[in-house]
Amino acid sequence: MHLQILQVYFSDMALCVAVVSKENAPKYVTSLNPEDELQIQYEIHSSIDFVEEKLKTGKKDMRDLYLGLLYSTEDHKIYGYVTNTKVKFFVVIDSSNLLLRDNEIRFMFRKLHTAYTDLMCNPFYIPGDYITSENFNKVARGILTGNS
Amino acid sequence: MSRQNTRLDVKKVNSELFTLTYGAIVSQLMKDYENVEDVNKQLDRMGYNIGVRMVEDFLARTNAGRCYDLRETADKIQYAFKMYLGITPALTNWSAAGDEFSLTFDTNPLTEFVELPDNYQNLKYSNILCGALRGSCEMVQMDVSCWFVQDQLKGDLATELRIKFNKRLEDAIPAGED
Amino acid sequence: MSAEDVLFDMLHSEIVSYLVPKSSEDEDLSILEHLGYSCGWRLIERITKELPRYKEELEVLKFICTDFWSCVYKKQVDNLRTNHQGVYVLHDNEFRFFSKLSNGTQYLKSAPKYATFTCGLIRGALENFGISSIVTVEIIRMPSCKFHIQVLPSSS
Repeated sequence: MHLQILQVYFSDMALCVAVVSKENAPKYVTSLNPEDELQIQYEIHSSIDFVEEKLKTGKKDMRDLYLGLLYSTEDHKIYGYVTNTKVKFFVVIDSSNLLLRDNEIRFMFRKLHTAYTDLMCNPFYIPGDYITSENFNKVARGILTGNS
Repeated sequence: MSRQNTRLDVKKVNSELFTLTYGAIVSQLMKDYENVEDVNKQLDRMGYNIGVRMVEDFLARTNAGRCYDLRETADKIQYAFKMYLGITPALTNWSAAGDEFSLTFDTNPLTEFVELPDNYQNLKYSNILCGALRGSCEMVQMDVSCWFVQDQLKGDLATELRIKFNKRLEDAIPAGED
Repeated sequence: MSAEDVLFDMLHSEIVSYLVPKSSEDEDLSILEHLGYSCGWRLIERITKELPRYKEELEVLKFICTDFWSCVYKKQVDNLRTNHQGVYVLHDNEFRFFSKLSNGTQYLKSAPKYATFTCGLIRGALENFGISSIVTVEIIRMPSCKFHIQVLPSSS
């Protein structure tokens, strides 16, 4: 029985992926389970402050765009990544998911960042608009289901 | 100040800037014209003007001589795509009479990042290429027609540009910009 | 000049003649500037994906005016100065988009429109880095020109 539950975590990579603009406005969010979405969004919102904090107080040689673990609760771990243009990406995973290592999380952010820059280069996307792109959505959903 | 990894990939950045600049003018035209057909026409016209001027540059770079048939011209066009856009389209679907063929692309640098909105299905995004081919052929006394048969942007498997030879132009003086 | 560059120059000059027709008395360069702005903004998003984090304004300005500039304009900036109070002056003795124009003084009047896209490109690139600015061009003798970048105080 216990093994069966673990299997769920094997196939599910992340619980939520979100993009927040440089002005800290939400631009995209997608979650695996719609029922926790509100709670997770609240946690992401709270971790924006941790991002600002990390960027401000970070060592001068902190050049990495990946910020690592920002915040964790009993249920969730929230990871952050900030582009050079101050756009923030968040990936939330289940706290009991021990399979995802730092490298895998980094890889998720790289994929997200690539999809994001492609979107910014779409001439019909107006920067600042809420993200509705199918291509971007495909990549983000892939991160949730591990089928990317 | 010492920074590592600030080296930019010159070729890549410039080709992306080209793609973005083209995208910016297409989206500007969509704002300027109410009718999509007018946008297609304007893109064709810009392409024509570019084609007319590009021939000189092409001839100077390649020392290309006169073409005696459309197959030779097709090879030159294929080579020009490689030189100017870095892609090599396949020459396909020759008509029995040898007066029509297609350029088939599996990638198109112009559309690299484009996601066409649903209400833009009549936009011929890459129509500048048709104009450029028409303009440059005209400069070497060939009257051709060009149009898109398939377009990956619209969900087709490949992008196919059809070229039809109409007639040889006797008058060596170009019609000029229209 | 590579074949790709020739193509870009031709596209650029087509865009200039479409947006700023010769017949117009009062030239409106704002759309052309905005086009450059949009390209600079979007391009910087892409280029900086592979770069480590930038923190200081001076660092960003140096990046835009040296690395980015020489990448797009295929030559080193001839001179870059700052008053350390938000004004940067970038001097190019042989500006790429002037090379096709004749050097006579009669062309001086039509020259600014060939530098407008670039003004926008720089402004857009800086803006996406979080640096608001005003970018203007000063053309003294073709084909040389100076781009003046005035950084505006940040609102935050």
